[in-house]
Amino acid sequence: MRPTKFLVLALALALSGAASGQEKKIALGAAVQLTGRLANTGRYYGDGYQITVDKINQKGGVTVGGTKYQLALRIYDSQSDTNLGVRQYVQLLTQDKVNFLLGPFSSNDALDDSSVAEKYQVPMVQGGGASTQIFSRGYKYVFGTLPPADDYFSSTIKMMGKLDPKPKTVALVAADDSFDVSVANGTRKLLKEAGLELVVDKQFRENNADFSSILSLVKSKDPDVILWAGHEGEALNFIRQAKSLDVNPKLFYSFTVGVPTADFRKALGKDAEYAFGMTPWLPEKELEDDWFGDAEQFDKEYQARFKYSPDYHAASAAADVETFAKAIAAAGTLDPKKVRDEIAKVEFQSLYGHIKFQPNGQISLPQTVIQIQDAKVVPIYTEDFIGKPRYPIPPWSKR
Amino acid sequence: MNRFRWLVLPVAAGALAAVPWVTSDTIVQYGINALLVATLAQSWNIIGGFSGYPSFGNSVFYGLGTYGTAIAMAQLHWSFGSGLVFGAVLGVACALLFGIPILRLRGPYFAIATLGLAAVMSAIIATVEIAGKNIGLILPLFRGDTLFYELSLILLVAATATVAWIARSRFGVGLVAIREDEDAAQVMGINTTMYKVAALTVAAFFSALAGGIHAYWITFIDPASAFDPSLNVRMVIMTLFGGPGTVLGPVLGAFVLSAVSEVLASQATGVASLFYGIVIVAAVVFMPKGLLDVVQGFRESRWRYFTDNIRRYRL
Amino acid sequence: MQLFGQILVNGILLGGLYGLMGLGMGLVWGVLKIVNLAHGALIMLGGYALYFLYTKAGVDPFLGLPLAMLAMFVLGYLLQTLLLNLIVRSAQLNTLLLTFGLDVVFVYMAQLLFTADFRTINPPYAGKNISLFGVTVPYAQLGAFGVAVLLAALLYLVLDKTRTGRAIRATAQNLVAARLYGVNPKRIYAITFGTGAALAGAAGGLYGIVSQITPYIGVTLTAKSFVIAILGGLDKPLGVIGGGLVLGIAEAMAALYLDPTYTDIISFGLLVLVLIARPAQLLGRA
Repeated sequence: MRPTKFLVLALALALSGAASGQEKKIALGAAVQLTGRLANTGRYYGDGYQITVDKINQKGGVTVGGTKYQLALRIYDSQSDTNLGVRQYVQLLTQDKVNFLLGPFSSNDALDDSSVAEKYQVPMVQGGGASTQIFSRGYKYVFGTLPPADDYFSSTIKMMGKLDPKPKTVALVAADDSFDVSVANGTRKLLKEAGLELVVDKQFRENNADFSSILSLVKSKDPDVILWAGHEGEALNFIRQAKSLDVNPKLFYSFTVGVPTADFRKALGKDAEYAFGMTPWLPEKELEDDWFGDAEQFDKEYQARFKYSPDYHAASAAADVETFAKAIAAAGTLDPKKVRDEIAKVEFQSLYGHIKFQPNGQISLPQTVIQIQDAKVVPIYTEDFIGKPRYPIPPWSKR
Repeated sequence: MNRFRWLVLPVAAGALAAVPWVTSDTIVQYGINALLVATLAQSWNIIGGFSGYPSFGNSVFYGLGTYGTAIAMAQLHWSFGSGLVFGAVLGVACALLFGIPILRLRGPYFAIATLGLAAVMSAIIATVEIAGKNIGLILPLFRGDTLFYELSLILLVAATATVAWIARSRFGVGLVAIREDEDAAQVMGINTTMYKVAALTVAAFFSALAGGIHAYWITFIDPASAFDPSLNVRMVIMTLFGGPGTVLGPVLGAFVLSAVSEVLASQATGVASLFYGIVIVAAVVFMPKGLLDVVQGFRESRWRYFTDNIRRYRL
Repeated sequence: MQLFGQILVNGILLGGLYGLMGLGMGLVWGVLKIVNLAHGALIMLGGYALYFLYTKAGVDPFLGLPLAMLAMFVLGYLLQTLLLNLIVRSAQLNTLLLTFGLDVVFVYMAQLLFTADFRTINPPYAGKNISLFGVTVPYAQLGAFGVAVLLAALLYLVLDKTRTGRAIRATAQNLVAARLYGVNPKRIYAITFGTGAALAGAAGGLYGIVSQITPYIGVTLTAKSFVIAILGGLDKPLGVIGGGLVLGIAEAMAALYLDPTYTDIISFGLLVLVLIARPAQLLGRA
């Protein structure tokens, strides 16, 4: 992330605030990971919020009770430090006096930061935390636009029932953090319901770089399918080491993260081929949007501006800003409690998908199964097949 | 100087205590953090500054305090007060249990053993059911940052008072003797093992309480954040920055470095960590004996103090 | 049994690379008494150096390794001459502060210059392997292991047989006495730190071949290098490689026979146990 960009941004913000006293503003604030360990995914949130705020302003802003308002965005870099992030959210509310909060990346950060929103009773719409823990603590001011973690593999497992040859045995490999434990618990249940046999069920330590032991074990059990949950960096290591140790699932493998991300595919090169994954979002024309036109348009503008492709994180971030725009307009006031009630009722079509929050505050979106084919992400399955899978995937020695 | 110092301290503490009533929530928020890390630096000072044992495992006590409080409140539904006590008991017990074997090691070997201890403890907690494994624990939400602030302040004052007492007691003299020459201290009849374990235990007590307050304030903890090794590095850095083995150095170091990093994080967000790194590098080069020494040295030799330092300590 | 053999081989191959990580840290620590918190950052920078040599200049990673090491040597030499030498004679812990600050700066610069994208050094043979008695041996990992052992042996010979090496060892034992014998400490310090950086660079390059490079890989690797250097006895190259092997094998076995989430308990528990169990021997050195 360019520091100069932020200096300019901060300066522009300060100047615009000073210059345009008569123009009404609605301030949104967030502390996201622009540097540090999580910066690789954190940038989607910083950039996703920014481009959407600018777009909404360009299209005339938000009308609140007959008056036009422009959106303003205040972003802090939490340096991937959760404690700092919490302090910055308090600063956003009490010093910068932002009206509403956007979220950080990652479930663990959202768990801590959402407490600030709840404490000050200001709604936070966050698109970076999917763990069910965030929504099971009875908070009223937190809304999430990532689908629940325990459902991540449900479309994949449904697809397995319709594949030929039909998979029978599964190896489940998952990290031990909040998000991935949610994924693994949900997946175990789904596998049982589908009558699939779990032959390897291993949890690995977060930030682990070496998968050789788990891979060797998987190889010795020779499962039909490997279902893998963790973080992008770990997924990268898993695939590279699977290749070097010549570990092949008989039919296919699928990853919770990485596959939809351009950077991930680039780092793996040819080795990324055939990997299955999932995404709640693809840049399709059918996803119509009030501000960007459609998701394809969003994808184009985002790439042109930031020089890299958005994935579902960025789209989810865009949906967070749009949710506020819709809810504030509907509420006709900036009162946080009234806006909160409107967010709970909001229902609209966005570039990210159909936005409607469940009573616990989380969205429900189906995951589309995808596969990397010729370095491109190809959608394969939602309710039924929408693309042709390359299946079963060839072993490393035949690629 | 002495009379002066004793007058200044209560005034400073009183002024700090008034902060929540006269400033903003933001300052209180940053204040809680600064006070807690200052407490950690002060605790580290007891074992690292006075007895010269460079502990890299004080985060173990902080982490146990964090988890003690969290387990008590989230799993056993105890009150915050009993949670703090439970956390402190865990921290102190750990210091007593591991203090004796680990304090037999010296210098870098001690440092590494404590580092290892912190990592093992974090990894063990990540597999324990009642501690929520690696998923972490969620504490009830409490809207009372003023309370957290005042508690942190009381803790820091108590830790500093303890260090002030140590500095002028027989106990403190014994610790310094150990730092200067442990074998000689032993010959002089100092029970070095007992002294060292006592120092570690006192440090553990304050660190664990700091962890407990932090847990309730932040509401969600997991092993990675409770046993964060970089927190350990921060304690050391802040103490060295202020002046190890002194009463006020660690507090000063913690306050100044916290302020620098917070101001950078909000005013120069995006380049904050770069400047933070440069500040630290420059500080070591120009004032290797800490901030407190600068105050005195600058009075004597003005700007030459900084170049003199380089001349004195370079190869 | 076949699985056991495979795990053992995995552990050994990983352990060689671990040893190489510990080598540079142990040398700098043992000789200069500097506990280098920026060691992981140097590993990271070495990884980037090799990455760009491979992707931009098309140099084969294993052939490019000496070049990356040379670049890191120069960086290390300059760091010691221009910065670390300024505080060598102040309190020993100050080196911690200084290297911590350097680490922060390096990580930031890496993110600024190279972005947070994942980088892998992926030559055509990276994923290839050979099967021996049912045990799969990957070429890249085998190569990394070979390089690690080779460098350790080389370092051992240099320290033991050459003039400069003897000067380094003399400096480690007694700076004043070494001076009397005509050793120029500034030069020796710079060479030693440069060598440490070069070894870190080699480890980083190999790490990029078997794993990946991001600006943030350093923290974990610094901690690992700490452990390995201590297990192996600091400036004893062959011992450090041994320490790496012990750790690599222990982790691989623990992941299979206990649970993969136990790897950290094993590696750091092992460290604490070793330290507690043989303090008499270590106390003599410390």
